[in-house]
Amino acid sequence: MYGWVGQILRINLTNGTIKKEALDQAEARKYLGARGLGTRLWIKEVDPKVEPLSAENNLIFMTGPLTGTLATNGGRYNVVCKAPLTGAMAASNSGGYWGPELKYAGYDGIIFEGKAEKPVYVWINDDQVEIRCAEHLWGKDVIETTDTLRAETDFDAKVACIGPAGENLVKFACIMNDYTRAAGRSGVGAVMGFKNLKAVVVKGSGAVRVADPDGFLEALTKARQMVRSHPVTGTGLGLYGTEILINILDQTGALPVNNFRDSGTFPNADATSGETLAKTYLVRNKGCMGCAIGCGRIVNVPDGPFKGFGEGPEYEAGWSYGADCGVDNLAAIIKANNYCNELGLDPITMGSTIACAMELFEIGAITEKETGRALRFGDAEAIVELTRQTAYREGFGDELAEGSYRLATKYGHPELSMSVKKQELPAYDPRGVQGIGLNYATSNRGGCHVRGYMTSPEVLGIPEKLDNLATEGKAGWTKIFQDLTAAVDSSGICLFLTFAIGAPEVAAQLSTATGVEYTVDDVLKIGERIWNMERLFNLANGFTKDDDTLPPRLLKEPIKVGPLKGAVNKLSEMLPEYYKVRGWDEDGRPTPEKLEELGL
Amino acid sequence: MAGQPLKSLRSWGYKEVSHLKVKFFALLRDITRVKETVDFTGGTVLELLENLCSHYGKRLTEWIFAPPAVGKKRELSGNVIILVNGRAIEHLAGIETPLKQDDEVAIFPRMAGG
Repeated sequence: MYGWVGQILRINLTNGTIKKEALDQAEARKYLGARGLGTRLWIKEVDPKVEPLSAENNLIFMTGPLTGTLATNGGRYNVVCKAPLTGAMAASNSGGYWGPELKYAGYDGIIFEGKAEKPVYVWINDDQVEIRCAEHLWGKDVIETTDTLRAETDFDAKVACIGPAGENLVKFACIMNDYTRAAGRSGVGAVMGFKNLKAVVVKGSGAVRVADPDGFLEALTKARQMVRSHPVTGTGLGLYGTEILINILDQTGALPVNNFRDSGTFPNADATSGETLAKTYLVRNKGCMGCAIGCGRIVNVPDGPFKGFGEGPEYEAGWSYGADCGVDNLAAIIKANNYCNELGLDPITMGSTIACAMELFEIGAITEKETGRALRFGDAEAIVELTRQTAYREGFGDELAEGSYRLATKYGHPELSMSVKKQELPAYDPRGVQGIGLNYATSNRGGCHVRGYMTSPEVLGIPEKLDNLATEGKAGWTKIFQDLTAAVDSSGICLFLTFAIGAPEVAAQLSTATGVEYTVDDVLKIGERIWNMERLFNLANGFTKDDDTLPPRLLKEPIKVGPLKGAVNKLSEMLPEYYKVRGWDEDGRPTPEKLEELGL
Repeated sequence: MAGQPLKSLRSWGYKEVSHLKVKFFALLRDITRVKETVDFTGGTVLELLENLCSHYGKRLTEWIFAPPAVGKKRELSGNVIILVNGRAIEHLAGIETPLKQDDEVAIFPRMAGG
């Protein structure tokens, strides 16, 4: 095969068997890889009603056909399983170098079944695959684990592992690879921890063959030139990282503040911005394998109570720990974010859950008796300490480790969880950005911005400027964004490329790499197929149209301050049209005709 | 201070205060060397931008405006996002959007993230 390397590794952790299986070529063509093919392989083999934290919940690491090729930003892979946070399908996307290395070792993906009796790690060195004892690593953070495993195996090996958060089954634990890149959302790290799988270490000496080297080179060169010459991907993201968005969301009036209670502008937002980061703690930028953008931030806080060296924060973490917790101390945000990287936590859910706890505290639903401390918006020390406590399930951290929905429900205020399908919302207030609200509500994995990034047209004007307050036409736009994203996620390249390139460039690279002729329509159709497959899983798992909604605050309580004062999200104006453009019935179920059209 | 200052005050270096606040972000700050200013006026966004460009020079002009074309109106480059009181000018009257006292104009280079 071309693009794909043609082999899947199946490892049963219960009985220690290791099998190498041929990749199903027909399925690969239909679902590409990573998110799409990984989800397909999971659904084929596992009961959708399975308990997320059970031996029967397969954990799949899957690359795409462009992963590890020369394709621009071809460093991505996905981790697929049923998510402990949401009960929906998790497909968590990560960059770095681990995914390409897996292909160089000769595998498109790994299916982990069962559960090891004791902590183990898997060492993949080309054809040699071993399950090894990891008892000496249990309890160690991501940095120490990665350092130790490289010393034990091969200095050039790539490590994907969990930190203490995954071991302690925190419902939003990440899987970290290459020290600081994360398969971040929905709690895939908890599934790995439940399986007693500490790490997957990979070293490969092979390569990925492409079908039409000259055509591929031409296609990727064109894409790379578009990326490098675009003001966003060629300049802004490299200089300022994703934190550059703090100020524009603040100035637009759509920055969620204090658990969305006091949205949409944050006093002193600039203190937490990408511009401020660049002038204070930024050491240099960093990219993943084959990256033409370099949005990663290497940072150092040289002294003070939040001293430390690490990576990030991304915009989402800068917001969740910043404006959403009412904190404008950038050093504290960096420290909390460093803990997320080192201990293996999703900073969106972590920061949002702390914000939820702060509001619960301020209304008196919880007290110092539960929290062990005063917990008010603006407490910089709290965001750091509670993050650490959560990873170890210490004290109040044990409650935070369940995420905001379970926390708020326990104390009688589920409405204060700013989540969809129990997954916390990212950093764009849907009252001021209507289409992102529709995307949040319909996202198959719960609250998520990278399932259909409507902020791009609605706030940033890419590919064209849509009115952020309008609802008309948003259903169609949201569908296209969701479908294209699903295809990009499944191809193995970085979603950020789509600020500069579109479906034609993705199709050209896929076609020349794999030898399978993909048109623009094919790419969008694959994305739509994946979206509908995920939807069918959710429906089979008990989700209904009632889950396609937003927290009541966003539908009823107007934004209090700033340019968008008075705005609420008008989901009911968009959702019926969305079902219609998706070819679903009024209850949000794909019609038989749609399923036939998609080959599902 | 609003209104027309005395001529004699001007000759002493007094600056008119427009009560029009202009904010710069990201790379544009490297050009202007300030985060915000109240030193510029303009009856429309276009007039304000022209005033800013004549002061800050070629680098800002190249960010904001498309290369001039004979017989064509001045157009934005597409590389900037301009908000007037938080609203993108695309949803107002574009570069002809009128400005009034106390308006806030935010100018960003085209950006994205996530």
